[in-house]
Amino acid sequence: MEKVLIIGGGAGGIILANSLDPKDYNVTVVDKDEYHYYQPWYLYVAFKGSKRKIGKPIASLLKPGIRYVKDEITEINLNERKAYGSLRITYDYDYIIIATGTSPDPDPIPGLREVFNEYGDYHTSVQNSLKLWNHIKNFKGGTIAIGQASPTCKCPPSLLEGAFQLEEYLNKKGLKSKTKIKFFTPFPRAYPAEPMNKVVEPMVEERGIEVMPFFDLDTVDNEKKILTSIEGDTINYDLPIIVPPCKGTKIKILPEGLQNEDRFIISDKYTMKIKGFDNAFAVGDANNLPTSKTGVTAHLEAKVVANIIQGKYDKFTGRINCPFDTAYGKATFVIADYDNPVAPYPPTRMKHFMKMSMARIYWMTLRGYADPIFDFYFDFTNPVKLNEKYATS
Amino acid sequence: MTDVKLIDSRGAACPGPITDLARAYRNSKVGDMLELWATDKGVKADTEAWAKKTGNEIVEIKEEPDKIIVKIKILKR
Repeated sequence: MEKVLIIGGGAGGIILANSLDPKDYNVTVVDKDEYHYYQPWYLYVAFKGSKRKIGKPIASLLKPGIRYVKDEITEINLNERKAYGSLRITYDYDYIIIATGTSPDPDPIPGLREVFNEYGDYHTSVQNSLKLWNHIKNFKGGTIAIGQASPTCKCPPSLLEGAFQLEEYLNKKGLKSKTKIKFFTPFPRAYPAEPMNKVVEPMVEERGIEVMPFFDLDTVDNEKKILTSIEGDTINYDLPIIVPPCKGTKIKILPEGLQNEDRFIISDKYTMKIKGFDNAFAVGDANNLPTSKTGVTAHLEAKVVANIIQGKYDKFTGRINCPFDTAYGKATFVIADYDNPVAPYPPTRMKHFMKMSMARIYWMTLRGYADPIFDFYFDFTNPVKLNEKYATS
Repeated sequence: MTDVKLIDSRGAACPGPITDLARAYRNSKVGDMLELWATDKGVKADTEAWAKKTGNEIVEIKEEPDKIIVKIKILKR
């Protein structure tokens, strides 16, 4: 039986494992953590203090017959087809999938580590989100600087989602008149993709959120409470909400030269095959594909890789489908693929309901039970159709 | 001769080619030449606005059937 080794028990790793039949493949999932988290909910932990339980043991999410090993992989040798971890086991394989996601790294930006340790964020863990919530619920007024510290970040809509959630919270608490929200971004506008920006920009303006475009964070001075950008702009803050830069895996991958300068693994944008290898793949946030780092891309890439391993022809279209909570009970989705630009899809209450429902459907999605719903949905919201309907109007 | 650093952003729609450009800019120095390849139509306006903001120079924007090429000279870093 062919051995499939999956490094990482996130959305990509689990969906891939569950898409292979354990009667046909010997599948092992290795992760250094025991728990899997529904990451989109960090937003509501940080800005609403949500106490929803969003973690489940990885082992409980895998089909019977799939092996889970708690181990931290330290080295992968693609030529030898072996991986090594801290348990001193040698893992050999016929196919390997690296699905290690991203790791937050505040250190390249001077001063950011201190701020990150003190204030947390709404992107990296339940603990960090709770840390931020504690600051938000005790906030009495002043300037809040909110944004991403690097252009490479998970989930492009989530940055602005944070600013929207924050504004809604302050408004409901009656703190709006005592607060300035400054949203900084390395991109030319509030939302990086122009068609979606047209949809959300009026909301940003209406809610009094000040946008600082082309603000690529260079240094943080937490004593004087000033952020400075590479472009030379500054923001004085009372409360900093900064999502740290995202980096790729720290695992040593041999041969060398298969990762970009941020350690993301260089892979084919259609097949996710790691450059030069037919039996090694990088799935989800861990790879360098020119698409958003989100759960939905990890999901769709995992399905394609599962098909390729089973000898079926398949290729990833670059499809993204990022839920975008615009607050006050409405949401939209950022939808595009490699060949079609983002559609200017308007926010509605129905889409907000769908985003909220996803928190429940998610666990079924990981096990593959929600596949028929997704097949229908992805066809229904095909970016070609959406652009035909909304882009011209 | 200056090395030209190629940034291939073809296919990137969201967040888009500016992500790769901003990342390359962070790692660049004065005198570097960057060549950005993109398919996203917004790349022209965005790189022009970016160059204006950062004080760098767009040397050339070339439209080919399958991609748009933007050549940038780093004057300020």
